[in-house]
Amino acid sequence: MHRIERDRARFREIVRGRLRADLRKYLSTSELLGRRGEHTVTIPIPQIELPRFHFGDNGKSGVGQGPGEKGQPVEGDPKDGEGAGGAGEEAGQHVLEVDVELEELAQMLGQELELPCIEPRGDKALIADGGRYSGVRDTGPKSLRHFRRTFKNALRRTIAEGVFDPRQPEVIPMPEDERFRWKKRAPKPDSSAVIFHVMDVSGSMGREQKDVVRIKAFWIDTWLRSQYQNLEVVYIVHDAVAKIVDQQSFFSLRESGGTKISSAYELLLQLVRDKYRPEDWNLYPFHYSDGDNWSARDTERCVAILRDELLPRVNQFCYGQVKSAYGSGQFKKDLDTGLEGEEKLVTVSVNDRDGIADAIRSFLGKGR
Amino acid sequence: MTTRAQLSPMLRHEATRIERIARAAGLDPGDVAFEMVDARDVNALAAYGGFPVRYPSWRFGMDFERLDKGRQYGLSRIYELVINTDPAYAWLVRTNSDMEQKLVMAHVLGHADFFRHNVWFQPTDKRMLDRMADHGTRIRRAIDLHGQDAVEAFLDQVLVLDNLLDPFLPLREHMKVRAETAREVATASGASFESVRERALTSTSGRPPTFDVLGFLAERAPLVEWQRELLRIVRAEAYYFLPQRMTKIMNEGWASFWHSRILTGGVLDASEVVEFADCHSGATATSPGQLNPYKLGIEMFRTAERRGLDLFRLRRVHNDASFVDEMVDDDFVARNALFLFGQNGRTGRTEVTDRETKAVKDRLLQDLSWGGLPQIELVDDDREGRGELVLRHHHDGRDLQLSHAAETLKSLARLWGSSVHIETREETNVRWISSDGSEVRTGEHPYERAG
Repeated sequence: MHRIERDRARFREIVRGRLRADLRKYLSTSELLGRRGEHTVTIPIPQIELPRFHFGDNGKSGVGQGPGEKGQPVEGDPKDGEGAGGAGEEAGQHVLEVDVELEELAQMLGQELELPCIEPRGDKALIADGGRYSGVRDTGPKSLRHFRRTFKNALRRTIAEGVFDPRQPEVIPMPEDERFRWKKRAPKPDSSAVIFHVMDVSGSMGREQKDVVRIKAFWIDTWLRSQYQNLEVVYIVHDAVAKIVDQQSFFSLRESGGTKISSAYELLLQLVRDKYRPEDWNLYPFHYSDGDNWSARDTERCVAILRDELLPRVNQFCYGQVKSAYGSGQFKKDLDTGLEGEEKLVTVSVNDRDGIADAIRSFLGKGR
Repeated sequence: MTTRAQLSPMLRHEATRIERIARAAGLDPGDVAFEMVDARDVNALAAYGGFPVRYPSWRFGMDFERLDKGRQYGLSRIYELVINTDPAYAWLVRTNSDMEQKLVMAHVLGHADFFRHNVWFQPTDKRMLDRMADHGTRIRRAIDLHGQDAVEAFLDQVLVLDNLLDPFLPLREHMKVRAETAREVATASGASFESVRERALTSTSGRPPTFDVLGFLAERAPLVEWQRELLRIVRAEAYYFLPQRMTKIMNEGWASFWHSRILTGGVLDASEVVEFADCHSGATATSPGQLNPYKLGIEMFRTAERRGLDLFRLRRVHNDASFVDEMVDDDFVARNALFLFGQNGRTGRTEVTDRETKAVKDRLLQDLSWGGLPQIELVDDDREGRGELVLRHHHDGRDLQLSHAAETLKSLARLWGSSVHIETREETNVRWISSDGSEVRTGEHPYERAG
């Protein structure tokens, strides 16, 4: 039944085409979140249907079977319109789930948003490790001769020549029978990166704002994961104080209270100094906030930390300002004026879900 | 004689026994070739409509994907698959228990007998396996010559029209051919049945009014040769599968009636009775909002038996609609607790609206007649001298799904190369949908092209 595999492959190709065409739509929904496995994402797509002339559901009626007086509700779901075996192949709207490799999704994202590949910093991008003797080839030194392969070949040849005698099993290897172990080189890319997702969880960040952050974080992770072999993600939340949390609480936490952004930047700095040293890691801090900081003094302090400590150490610092009903949005302006000309700083404001795609492009469009 | 080389000795023994019992009871299943397949492969077969040699298409891949997901998640399971050919190929799934294998073998013999004797299957080609393979070769060749994208796009365009058929055409032609052959044989002109039949099936009237829109298009649409060939292939396969739509309830009912009769007639081991009951009642389970064709079918045959009717004659002459017409009466409706349901306009709830025999039966007949398809007739092929097609939907109270109808019409217009129209109704209001292949207009009157 290998034939069906070809049809299935063709179908999947079509689905990918759909997905690619609708990627913008997926970029702004939270549908994909929580569907990510280790290597794949399960993407729900509406079943591809060929249209036909067929009956509509005309207010859901038909013939059923069972107890119940006139006027009693019918249990079960007659929505498939299978009145009496009539509808058959025109089953209702099914949703099809398709597994797509994260790598592939990242590629689509890259194409859609025209993202450049990230150039690794420094010159230690590739280090060749020793490799292993896992290959076989037909020349080599005698010391590496693969006895079993060689003997098998010799035996095969002897039998084929018809001179093999089971009573006197004599097998003499000829030079062309010989096989040798061979070292396969496996250059191991040394590319490790860490993403810091920092989110303001003060009272003014509502559900919608968090959703925007979530979706953005999902796509950023997906992209960077395709660019680095080894990716770690650190989640930090802050209101007046900052702390490291796990992924789930990052997305569900709702603190309230004041906002002191410098607390987060200080924590970030501490992590970069102690654990994720820039010599070993590519660093990507992303900060999301509604732009309402506690005081101008604190904002000054943030600018100072960024300028003197963080920016020299990271690949890129991204600040995404999510519009909310309460936030003043002042912080982005302060950053833009205070740090004018800093190449590694990217600030964007996102008004709603539709702005996510552009924000991602601004964040990742520089290829750092 | 059944072929069962692949079966285990135990199953081979059971197959022989079951077949002997079935034949003694009066079934005549002809040759049945049993083969064993894996659970995954049976899904592939099902996706191909039972024919492992079908032409390549993404739609089969999609169906397979859905079936196989269902299997992996444990939501659905196929026990067997049998196709209407001679010999009838029956695939048994390796993962079935011994009891289930016996059950499905008996079930399969019921289907095979039905295929062989029901009148609606008489016009179908019993060598369809070869024909499907031939279709596959032709379409693959077209792909090689004209490219996957072109062939695929054209196939998709044609497949949306594959239910524009005349369900009664094959049998009508078949009868005519039989009469003609008889006459020609009588006049000793030497024409064989086959040659007359071939002539009848390839010659369509090519003139409206006709329900055989596909046949009309195959003859008259402005197509290049490979496209015409594909259209003929799609039409031939659609007509081949049509009787299965028209007799689903009877066919499943007949097979279930006989598997139940045969297995409880001594084939079951005492230790298997509970498992059998579980399996059989699962297949014939009812749920309020949906009719189970297995259940409805088996009950009709049981009722017929109670009434002392000739079951073998019934299975020969009826389709689902006419069988329901004959069997369903007050007693049947009451015994099977059939009801009509509908949506309560005030509450939006789906509820029982009627238990009167007439209402239930009318609705059943409506759902089952014309193969369950909307009745759509080509009434004009040269509207106002401009070569535009006009279709008429014979509205019986059930509306078309209008957005799909519009898309379908667009596809038809592209195929025809000129504007096409369909006249239908939305409840009581007349609707004209027109398309020139790129856009669609809906109104109460046919859309006139400007200029």
